[in-house]
Amino acid sequence: MFKWRNGKKENETPKAHSLKIEELKQQLNAELMDTSDLEFREIYKDGEHLLISFLTSMTDVKVLEDIIIKPLQARVHSPWNLETFQACLPAAQISYANQLKEIAQAMIEGKGYLYSEGEPCGILINTGKIAERSLERAETESLVYGPKISFTESLESNMNIIRANIKDPMLVMEDIEIGARGRTKGKIVYIKDIADEKNVNTFKQRIKDLSIDHIPDSTVLAQLIEDNSWTVFPQLLTTELPDRLSIVLLKGRVGVLVDRSPAAIYGPSTFFSFFESTEDVYMRWNMGLFLRMLRFFSFFFSILLTPAYVAVLTYHYEVIPSPLLVSLGESRSNVPFPPVFEALLLEFIIELLREAGARLPTKVGQTMGIVGGIVIGQAAVDAGFTSNILIIIIALSALGSFTTPSYLMGTAVRIIRFPIILLAGLWGGVGIMVAFCFLIIHVLKLSTLGTPYLAPLYPLSMKDFGYSLLRFPFQFNYMRPLSNQPGDLKRYPQKKAKKKKDVDE
Amino acid sequence: MKVNIQPKEGLLFNAFLVMFVIHVTQTGVGLAGLPRIVYLEAEHDGWISVLLAGVLTGIILWVMFLLLREYDSADLYGIQVDLFGKLFGRMLGVIYMVYLSSVFFDICMNYVEIVQAWIFSDMPTWVLSGVIISLAVYASLSGIRMVVGFSFISFIMTFWLVLVIISPLKYSDPTHLFPFMNTGIKNIASGIYKTSFSIIGFELLLFVYPYIQEKKKALLYAELGNLYTTILFTVVTVVCIIFFAGESLKRTIWPVLSLFKIVRLPNLERFEFIAVSFWLLIILPNLVTYLWAASKGFTRLFNIKQSKGIYIIAGVAWLGNFFIKARYQMNLVTDYIGVAGFFLAICYPAILFPIVVIKKKLRKRRQQDEEMG
Repeated sequence: MFKWRNGKKENETPKAHSLKIEELKQQLNAELMDTSDLEFREIYKDGEHLLISFLTSMTDVKVLEDIIIKPLQARVHSPWNLETFQACLPAAQISYANQLKEIAQAMIEGKGYLYSEGEPCGILINTGKIAERSLERAETESLVYGPKISFTESLESNMNIIRANIKDPMLVMEDIEIGARGRTKGKIVYIKDIADEKNVNTFKQRIKDLSIDHIPDSTVLAQLIEDNSWTVFPQLLTTELPDRLSIVLLKGRVGVLVDRSPAAIYGPSTFFSFFESTEDVYMRWNMGLFLRMLRFFSFFFSILLTPAYVAVLTYHYEVIPSPLLVSLGESRSNVPFPPVFEALLLEFIIELLREAGARLPTKVGQTMGIVGGIVIGQAAVDAGFTSNILIIIIALSALGSFTTPSYLMGTAVRIIRFPIILLAGLWGGVGIMVAFCFLIIHVLKLSTLGTPYLAPLYPLSMKDFGYSLLRFPFQFNYMRPLSNQPGDLKRYPQKKAKKKKDVDE
Repeated sequence: MKVNIQPKEGLLFNAFLVMFVIHVTQTGVGLAGLPRIVYLEAEHDGWISVLLAGVLTGIILWVMFLLLREYDSADLYGIQVDLFGKLFGRMLGVIYMVYLSSVFFDICMNYVEIVQAWIFSDMPTWVLSGVIISLAVYASLSGIRMVVGFSFISFIMTFWLVLVIISPLKYSDPTHLFPFMNTGIKNIASGIYKTSFSIIGFELLLFVYPYIQEKKKALLYAELGNLYTTILFTVVTVVCIIFFAGESLKRTIWPVLSLFKIVRLPNLERFEFIAVSFWLLIILPNLVTYLWAASKGFTRLFNIKQSKGIYIIAGVAWLGNFFIKARYQMNLVTDYIGVAGFFLAICYPAILFPIVVIKKKLRKRRQQDEEMG
């Protein structure tokens, strides 16, 4: 596919800049296309000539004055050479440079370039400022229980949170750069002795092979490096919860953080991991288990309930016991449409409501509740558009799809419902089963980072059930999930976990 | 052509999954009509026939395993070529391919017939068979991984249907089983013979064998799968015999589906509508496995891409449905395939095994002679 095509990078010929400041200024101007935010500050002293160049848009002028100009002015008597700069500038990170391209790129990233005429090279000092917001509560993955902090758009602070969560020297962050024009910075994050080398390499290889101008967000990157780009099912999870990323890193998965994006990608993410919520872990195991089961149940409910209604009412009304059939018949007696049309119409209305609710500002959004609840619910039945029972069913299946913790998977669930309803209207129960079998085959075919999508169900590894399909008490989860093929298998000693106490001990 | 195949590491699967492959391929459309067919032969002792047929397949599985053990990692296509030479071995391979393809066709047509009889009497055969065959093609294009995975998932999703037969037990009369063993050995034997169409599927071990990871354990799990099938078939037959009156069982073509009629839940009646739909999930892995095994012959025997083979077999099978116009034709086809199954799946491996042993011995002797001389 197109995304795997190898991009050949143009070979840039290294070019040192001129030693004359006037020429250097011209060269920098040419390199940065005469941009208007390019600023030069020159200082003269006893025949010595100094140039500080920076981009006003990317530079914190206060910092620049404090760490470059002030110390220089204080040391009037020392000559302006690299040694002096190194000795007197109060900056943590400095680097030497004389390549024009490199300097220009560094300035775009917010560095200031300090050059004294005649020296072989100058100094790059970080004086950047990047617009960022403070740490806030997670919006897309909201929680009742557990840490609320979420990633922000700044890569630096995201890395900071991850490091603070896992203070393991084995935690590795590898640099990546994506996009020929966007030049978005990113990090591949994993724990060296836990994560499977193969997964790390797959991530690296796929990102390296990518030839694209710009990725606006990590979700785009996830789409570009997924195994199968035709399916509705997402194969890489994105999360904005740092604690979630820490948990999966310790299970042996590999994460990717992208600058300017508040969502981290991680993989391999199997089908079942889209139904995991961090709350399952934070809550007591029995509650977590119940909630996780509830979510799987609601997944099936959500995709099969409306089709079942359509199939039963169109073809198999014998299936319904007679007392129930009477009330169903009464409820449907005013409706002039066939059940398929009725169901599709109502599903469509629910989708409209949901989409409108998501697009509207919060203040206006509340009106959507009134519109949905009263106008459509009550009026549609009165007008003979739909039956009461269908409204209950549709509401149930919509609720079911919203319980999925991953927004992408929730959307996938809602989309696959439509073809199943159509098939149910066409062939009843057999149609539903045809669609269901297709789904099973399709999901079996998928893979995430080259590993099976349906793990741990198929290939079966019962030991992992406590992590993904079910939620076991901690004493049973002493092994890391085997399907991630972790290097270090043990989370904690099994003996200690399974230790039993005698009576009165 | 090579006798042994060395599949890639990633294609190998765990030995315990053989259990599901064997069980699932054995259980299919045949089960729906099995009790009546054995009842016609062996009356109320029909369940003994089913049980004995299960034991017989157990023995055949053992023979198959011994046969396969003589080679490192070969399937039937390879073994035939090794034994009978290129030309004759290939011809036998083609016969087996035709057999597997026609089982594929027959399962599909039988299911369509069930759907037409129970739910949609006026649904055109070619539409439904077209959809089912395309699903099978879509699945089998993923190869052995899908064959095994789909069997496994299908088993998990459908095994609860067994629990449904508890409810007819309330209305049953165990005295139907007596007098015990009075129909005569001849009738029971012909009952065993008639069971063959329902119980075939285990012969696919001859084709999946090279893909099993721990080949030594394969026999154990294959036998376990066969054991479960035998128990299931026997129990279902017993339930049918004690639930239906003798005469009505003779006239009920799909007694197992009729059993489901009696199931009644607070919000659900006439369970057979759901069961018939659900049966699709039971037969699809069957179809996928047969299609995969048959199309494997194209690569093994003629070096044609397997995906092409899948399309060819599926296309021919789909076109085949235009020739079936009435139920008696379908019955005829099923009977022929039952006979073919009896000879190719049950008798053939038993004949093949001594030939392999003799051939190996001869070869060894010749080698020794060469070394000596």
